Amino acid sequence: MRLDQCWGTDSELPEDDAPQCGARHSALVPIVIDTSLITRVLALPVGDGPPEGGLHGNRAASAPPLPQATPTTSEGVTAYVEAYEREYTGWMAVLQRNAERLARGQYSLHWLDMAQGHWGRRARPSSRGLTYTDTNNVKGFGEIPERADWLNFTPRGAVREPYRAEMPVIDEYTQVDRPGLWADNVITLYEEAKARQWNATRDIPWHELAPLPEDLEKATCQLCTVLTQVEFVAGDFPAKWMYRIPQDFLEVKSFLATQIMDEARHQEVFRKRAIAGGGLMHAGVGQEWALKAILESPTHTMGTFLLNLLGEGLVLSIFRSGEMIAKTHVDKDIFRRCLQDEARHVSYGVMEFKYWLDQHPDREQAIAQMHRFADVGELIILSSFTEPVMVEPIAILLGGGLDKIDYGMEGMAKLWTMAIDEYLQRCERAGFPRRARCRIPLDAPWASSGAVPATA
Amino acid sequence: MQAAVPSPPQALPFPSVAWFERLAALMNANRARQEQLGFCDCVAGFAVTDGGPDGQPFVVQVTFEEFAATDVREATPAEAAQADFTVTGPLAAWRAMIESIAAGNGRPALEQTLNRLTHMGTPMHVASDDPLRRDLYFRYNQTLQEFVNASAAFATTFAR
Repeated sequence: MRLDQCWGTDSELPEDDAPQCGARHSALVPIVIDTSLITRVLALPVGDGPPEGGLHGNRAASAPPLPQATPTTSEGVTAYVEAYEREYTGWMAVLQRNAERLARGQYSLHWLDMAQGHWGRRARPSSRGLTYTDTNNVKGFGEIPERADWLNFTPRGAVREPYRAEMPVIDEYTQVDRPGLWADNVITLYEEAKARQWNATRDIPWHELAPLPEDLEKATCQLCTVLTQVEFVAGDFPAKWMYRIPQDFLEVKSFLATQIMDEARHQEVFRKRAIAGGGLMHAGVGQEWALKAILESPTHTMGTFLLNLLGEGLVLSIFRSGEMIAKTHVDKDIFRRCLQDEARHVSYGVMEFKYWLDQHPDREQAIAQMHRFADVGELIILSSFTEPVMVEPIAILLGGGLDKIDYGMEGMAKLWTMAIDEYLQRCERAGFPRRARCRIPLDAPWASSGAVPATA
Repeated sequence: MQAAVPSPPQALPFPSVAWFERLAALMNANRARQEQLGFCDCVAGFAVTDGGPDGQPFVVQVTFEEFAATDVREATPAEAAQADFTVTGPLAAWRAMIESIAAGNGRPALEQTLNRLTHMGTPMHVASDDPLRRDLYFRYNQTLQEFVNASAAFATTFAR
């Protein structure tokens, strides 16, 4: 079999050739995928490919046409103008008052009166600079509410009460409870994230990148393609929620901003690596379902569990594997840099979940709810981590070539067990006993032995 | 620990407290690089399972704070929990890594990086009783890699 045949999709391969791909190139006994096990575990129908008319449940087949370009602006502008001229008229009174004062040549200087404020206690920098912890230690500025009732942009600790009645409310600020956002390590992680930023353009020794043998180069570029695909969800998800968080939780908003930046950089570095190595390759279908499920999680905590604790925990394992199997120092550097960022996100995910559970008025009910969510979430995430466009390139890199993919799959089985065990350890650290109910098999589906996982 | 200009190259035995103290001194002498890499706050254990007298374990714990290594001390295996994580391996694995770093003038061969050696649990592994504390090993991996890479700046001797 020629190499380029192996790169084809299953449907493109002659039926007899596909299962022999590994056997042809290896002295090992070909790996036999126990599809019945997968079927039992996942309790999902398994077929040869997508049914006619598209994948089951795929919205794409029946989706309405994509929106045209930006909707005609005249309607939008009209609505906006009318709203601010007729509905939200508070600003008019403010403008009139200010304009009249200025016309009279008078100053207000009311802001010099700090009787209702916290003036005079200066924040002092610690050895690492002036951190949020340092400023929060100043009385009046570090009191983080359990429930935010300032649904606008006023800074926590500023004199704002006298103006409350005149200020607008931001309707989108709906995440008003500290549980569901806060993590006890969020300030540390924010400061660390800023300190450990790096630049995908300049900090990677791109000039050292030399072509690899074709199978290894394609495996590297395929892995980087999938990682490019998945990285931005970890930016889109926090972005989706960040604008719903009131300013009083500024530490959380700040950390989420660093996560968004981190993920932009990861998407950037993997895209660049693929294109520098030959090009972006195949997008993954399973990845899309996992990313959609993350993005549409019903609550911030649930989505953070799925994204940061589970998804990024598994991606952290992939990054560590990527560093381990990298065939160039360029790839080593990329994965080592990325795994550092990813570990911060995982850490936030664990502690955010823990805080939410610890503060929940009905912990038992909260855990039951999360089990129900995880029962589905784990399987959807698994759809990504079983995709050939992700599993096979790693196996090829791990084995050392296409002809050693079987060796690689053996190694992958061990990595699978380690990664799932680490996920369960993190759940336990958060106070979520998931081990007995986990829907992801602790042993890889292709492993020759192993217990059938518990199913709910 | 005060930042000090490292003394001229002098062979140091591995494993030993002095060997790790030299790494700490080299790290602290290059604060500018540490500021590029970012804060590193953890207690890292480095264990050589057969590096002590009569093949007993030898364990060193290095405290990293902000941009510096602030403390290096020998620890007993029983004190392992004081470290956030402990990078553990036999002397042969440590020696291969250190020699690779030296041969690469501070850059180990692809198969001799800390993560490469520990990820599969063999020949080294990362031990911790807390997944969050273990994750510090990953959060600061570049700093830790460069910490050991600095061993290329001086000669290392091995008892075996």
